[in-house]
Amino acid sequence: MSYLSNTYLFLILPFIVVVYSIFLKKYRWVCLLVASYAFFFIISGKLLLCLLFTTIHCFLYGLVIKKYDADCALEQEKKDIDKKEVKQKFKLKKKRVLVISILIQVAILFAYKYMPFFLGNINSIFAWFGSDYQFKISKIIAPIGLSFYTLEALSYMIDVFTGKIEAETKVYKLALFLSFFPQTMEGPIARYDKDSSLFEGNNITYKNLCFGLQRMVWGSFKKIVIADRLNPIVKCVFATGSSYSGFVVLFGAISYTIMLYMEFSGTMDVIIGSAEIFGVKLPENFRQPFFSKNISEFWARWHITLGAWFKDYIFYPVSLAKKMKSLTVKARHKLGNHFGPLLTGSIALSAVWLLNGLWHGAGWNYIFFGVYHLFLIILGNLFEPYMKKLSDKFHIDRTKKLYRAFQFVKLFLLVVIGELFFRAVTLSDGFRLFFSIFKGFTLKNVFDGTLMNLGLDGYDFVVLGISILVVFVMSLLKEKDIDVREKVSNMNIVARWILYLSLIMFVVIFGAYGPGYQAIDPIYANY
Amino acid sequence: MEKLIEILEGLNPDVDYANTKDLVDGHYLDSLTILSLVSEIEDEFDVEIPTIEIVPNNFNSVESLWKLITKLQKDE
Repeated sequence: MSYLSNTYLFLILPFIVVVYSIFLKKYRWVCLLVASYAFFFIISGKLLLCLLFTTIHCFLYGLVIKKYDADCALEQEKKDIDKKEVKQKFKLKKKRVLVISILIQVAILFAYKYMPFFLGNINSIFAWFGSDYQFKISKIIAPIGLSFYTLEALSYMIDVFTGKIEAETKVYKLALFLSFFPQTMEGPIARYDKDSSLFEGNNITYKNLCFGLQRMVWGSFKKIVIADRLNPIVKCVFATGSSYSGFVVLFGAISYTIMLYMEFSGTMDVIIGSAEIFGVKLPENFRQPFFSKNISEFWARWHITLGAWFKDYIFYPVSLAKKMKSLTVKARHKLGNHFGPLLTGSIALSAVWLLNGLWHGAGWNYIFFGVYHLFLIILGNLFEPYMKKLSDKFHIDRTKKLYRAFQFVKLFLLVVIGELFFRAVTLSDGFRLFFSIFKGFTLKNVFDGTLMNLGLDGYDFVVLGISILVVFVMSLLKEKDIDVREKVSNMNIVARWILYLSLIMFVVIFGAYGPGYQAIDPIYANY
Repeated sequence: MEKLIEILEGLNPDVDYANTKDLVDGHYLDSLTILSLVSEIEDEFDVEIPTIEIVPNNFNSVESLWKLITKLQKDE
């Protein structure tokens, strides 16, 4: 089930909203928790036990750390005692518990998500060496959203260890944080905050309801009108890519990038909008990523919460570890302020991008996807001083519109190539498709009717063109800090509702559903 | 504070540090620049910046960075 299915939009969500508003404010968390667990059971069945285990594990872990902190403080109060030594002793104890807890969570993730891939590769190695022994690989069904709630659980554990947050003593709060139904399938990956609006039992106000629904309709527009409409092209090109001319393959890859953005950001709008109805503010996951100046910035604006997770829990801890820090200092003295930190930063970035690739899926194409971005980011940083010198020498103003347009096209194409490998079934499929872009590439295909044989007709292309333009203009306004939502909410009630109803009607009339279309399965729910 | 501005200008001279309040959120300081900045600050001010303190709020302006440094100096 997706967040854009009729079951969720017209049955589950309205039912929860009604029941929630009947509950007394102080018991509304019970309603949200029961609803979230019921929702998880609907999508994952008895695998709900995995979520329950992670929740109890997090809770008990927090209590153990809390106890160690209390014991440490107590011991430090004793006379004639070396406080630093006591602190160090308890830090070591806490570290041991943290490491074991992280290993347990990672082991669960590994068992469900990576075991078949791992065993498959072991089998290939055995076969390579001529051994007949092969591990039996059985298909494992993982709980939906496992990768998302595991990262949330790990961030809770690490934050409690570092003292950023206090251990939670109310298990229901942790349970609700890890299972909150609008975000359980596709994120955003939140950080634990005991004062979160999630636990407040806010009233469902007219403003929250309008703002939430408004965002959900906007998300539905992106997903149903644009992403679902692009699905036939993507399926067609990625299934039989190399038999098409280079232009068609590139067109298919561009279509996939747009489809992925519209699907994921559209679903995110529905998720954040659903939470907004309950007065719960979830973190944003997108900030006009295609307006970024480079790949590095792109990843700070696309799937923001995942990037931030890797930055906070992998990149900084690795690059600022004692040994790495001294390496940075040495490298900085030898290679200068730019290349020195780049050297050590690249080591941490390698870990980040390898894990980022793997997080998206167990496959060599995902690993390649990670390595590809690592390569682009390092290359970008490596050449940045030279690019700057070059642009100064030729008096190129990098803030001018023409240069920004060049940056936009360059970035877009780089992203399209990355997403091509991401979508490909295997890595060799990815390479096959990539190289077929350069085979028989001709712009004639725009006019000779080839594009009409990919499952869409002229009407579809017109709807797509207008809809993508609307999203582009809205993103441009947002980029210029113009808050369209606030402007709409300030309109008089008649104009506002005419606008809302027009958008709903647009989705209903121009949505890509019915014969000839097939809605995309939620792409990120599989991660 | 002047020394801090000097360090920042050494890393990226194109920013108006006195008036910019979104050094991280506005992408003036990326992750790699922050690595240089952290080691420069640690060398210059004899403090150790724990990873827990590397959050946009502490790095978004010269003032917030200075506040962090003075807090860490007190804690040492």
